[in-house]
Amino acid sequence: MLVDILPQGLKDFLGQDLVFWLGYISNGKHLNWYASVQYTLAAMVLGAAIALVVGLVAAAARSNGPLPLRWFAAAYINIVRGVPDVLFFLFFPLAFEQAVEWVYSFQVCTPETLALNAGRWPPCDAANISFSSFGYLILASVSLGLVYGAFVASVIAGALRAVPAGQLEAARAYGMTRMQVLRRVHIRQMWVYALPGIANVWMSIVKATSLLSLLQILDFVAWAQRLGAANFSRAAGLVHDDWRWRYYFVLLVFYILVTFVSEKIFGAIGRRLRRGMPLAEQNAT
Amino acid sequence: MNRLILAAAALAALTLGAQAQSYKIATEGSYPPYNFTDDSGKLGGYDVDVGTEMCKRAGVECSFIVNDWDSIIPNLLAGNYDAIMDDMSITDERKKTIAFTDPYFPPDPSTFLTLADKKVDYANIKGMKLGAQKATIQANYLESNLKDGNTILTYDTQDQEMADLNAGNLDIIFLDGSVVGEAVSASGGKLKADGPEILIGDGVGVGMRQTDTELTKKFNTALQSMKDDGTLDGLITKYFPDKKGGPFYKK
Amino acid sequence: MTALDVLIGEVVRMAPAALFNIYFAVAAIPAGFGFAILLALGKNSPNQIVNRLSRAYIYFFRGSPFFIQLFAFYSLVLAFNLSTWKPLGIDGFVLHPLFLGPAILALNTTAYTAEIFYGALITVPRGEVEAARAYGMSRRQRFWSVTWPNLIRIAWPAYTNEVVFLFQATALVYFTLPVIGDQRDLMNLAEVLFQRDYNVFLHFGVAAGYFLVISFAIFYLFGLIYRRLMRHLPQERRLKFSWRRVQGLS
Repeated sequence: MLVDILPQGLKDFLGQDLVFWLGYISNGKHLNWYASVQYTLAAMVLGAAIALVVGLVAAAARSNGPLPLRWFAAAYINIVRGVPDVLFFLFFPLAFEQAVEWVYSFQVCTPETLALNAGRWPPCDAANISFSSFGYLILASVSLGLVYGAFVASVIAGALRAVPAGQLEAARAYGMTRMQVLRRVHIRQMWVYALPGIANVWMSIVKATSLLSLLQILDFVAWAQRLGAANFSRAAGLVHDDWRWRYYFVLLVFYILVTFVSEKIFGAIGRRLRRGMPLAEQNAT
Repeated sequence: MNRLILAAAALAALTLGAQAQSYKIATEGSYPPYNFTDDSGKLGGYDVDVGTEMCKRAGVECSFIVNDWDSIIPNLLAGNYDAIMDDMSITDERKKTIAFTDPYFPPDPSTFLTLADKKVDYANIKGMKLGAQKATIQANYLESNLKDGNTILTYDTQDQEMADLNAGNLDIIFLDGSVVGEAVSASGGKLKADGPEILIGDGVGVGMRQTDTELTKKFNTALQSMKDDGTLDGLITKYFPDKKGGPFYKK
Repeated sequence: MTALDVLIGEVVRMAPAALFNIYFAVAAIPAGFGFAILLALGKNSPNQIVNRLSRAYIYFFRGSPFFIQLFAFYSLVLAFNLSTWKPLGIDGFVLHPLFLGPAILALNTTAYTAEIFYGALITVPRGEVEAARAYGMSRRQRFWSVTWPNLIRIAWPAYTNEVVFLFQATALVYFTLPVIGDQRDLMNLAEVLFQRDYNVFLHFGVAAGYFLVISFAIFYLFGLIYRRLMRHLPQERRLKFSWRRVQGLS
């Protein structure tokens, strides 16, 4: 245990109780809990990165793509946002796994093995595919990205419309080509208008990572629940009552801290982006 | 395009195939003394000790992974792991979807647990709030026998129903008798095991996919040798010191 | 049995479950709406204590996940059962998911709605309020006859959005609270059905369809109210109200 390395003098100073509790909150189970923050943070960052890419692509397809693509993007944006994030979050990894198994079954299943599993899933045992918890973490991040990509898409679409027409006209008057106007002026200025919305989506992603445990990922939330649950078995360690609310409190504080830090960072980015843009400064909220 | 997907799927299968042959066993990790996560953060308990020894004797490599109880059978069938060791009673209902090895724990009567000062007429339970864990034999029993005139609440985990019982939100919970002993003694007189013991199920087995007959055979042979040389009885005494009527398996 | 029969069967089977989600939302909305007005005024209050408390409340509920709030409040309410709810004889009521679910939802939506109302409150045209004061209106009169009508018109599109989100958040309730008998909501039922036959597309698809249709219904209903709110304004001054715009987060 970690407290064992403390010098005896310090232990005497702290007193027996404090040393005991220090030992308790630094035991292996707690260390697992602290370490599991990495899954939560990884899902946040990866999910947000995917959401940003998906959102940009969907916004571009929605406004500039050929007709079928435009419809597809519109359907994606509206459907995903009309459905609870938790539903899509659970649906996507399951559907993805089944889709891979279905495609795979054409290669590995024979008519006999197909008949053996008729009416059940997977189509045949050989087509069975399972993902590691790392695989599920990636899938979970992709589902977060797909859900919140739809929100990013509408934020970006709105921001593209918000760039003053005069700015674009001035760029064209300088003799820039269409692509140059888009890249150098339109998209660059768009970020200023999109930032508050993107900050909001980020906060939503942060909060949605609390759902990871529903996909059997032992994340920060899952470990907190295990630690807080009453224990009556001496073999399992310290016997204690229901301590869940203390651990939930830590979880709430953790998420509020992440939100708080994010706010500060987005504030700083916003100030930097708005430098030399008096117009945007007025409109930004 | 199609070929690309196939290639991706094949690649996925290849990388997965490389890890195969070591089997994964799912357990809840929060159902002491059968399985729990101890203070050092490791999985332990009766299920885990039996499983480790069983795999050793069967000559296969096994690792334990954690999965919630209510999705533990679906995820076995979906192939996320190869076996379930989570105090799962062998029942006809479950045999419709999965297979079981021979039992590794004798049939375990289910027991009612209440607050110590509670008086219940067990021949005629009415107007009570009854709790059980979702998708357990006990939840099924309450549903089919005590539904009328009572309120039945189901929970995702055992510790949730225990918490609700302790806080007085439930009158009675119904659970595996072998779990109750330690719960009662740790409660310091707050809880009591009460009422009739009801035998449901045919003992505890390792949950297997019905198609994995080879592996089931291997596990059965390994379990038999553990029964014969007294290893299993030893583990039962270690984790269930209150359990009466041994030896259970050694002749 | 054709695919259509299966689909219709599923839609029929899930209809009672949808009522639970609708009930949760409908029970939580009025309380959330009322408290949000008070809280928005609190956040705008010159009284430092009221101001700080209102801000802290809003920050706490908007900054943490609803999923954890459900867990935390359930265990908190449970902890007071023997000491408080039982002696009062209201334990069966307080701990019932059909009460506690909407209660926690209401606490949560109060914060989000208050933030929307506060944002609208500080953009209410000053001139109109000053004109009302010049007429000699009392504070209460000024609020209800000038500030409030302006506020609700400005806030309505964003509030519609919040109501849709609130409805979607009802999907989380039974992940946390105990399930009584067969009282299952859409999400819970979809999971139970999925675990029987692994048909993720049918069960989750139909549940998603219900959420989508009801979300659109909320949107339509609130659009009608919005048109009523704006009926006195000339056509061109009315804010555009579309699904896309309402769902805009910024």
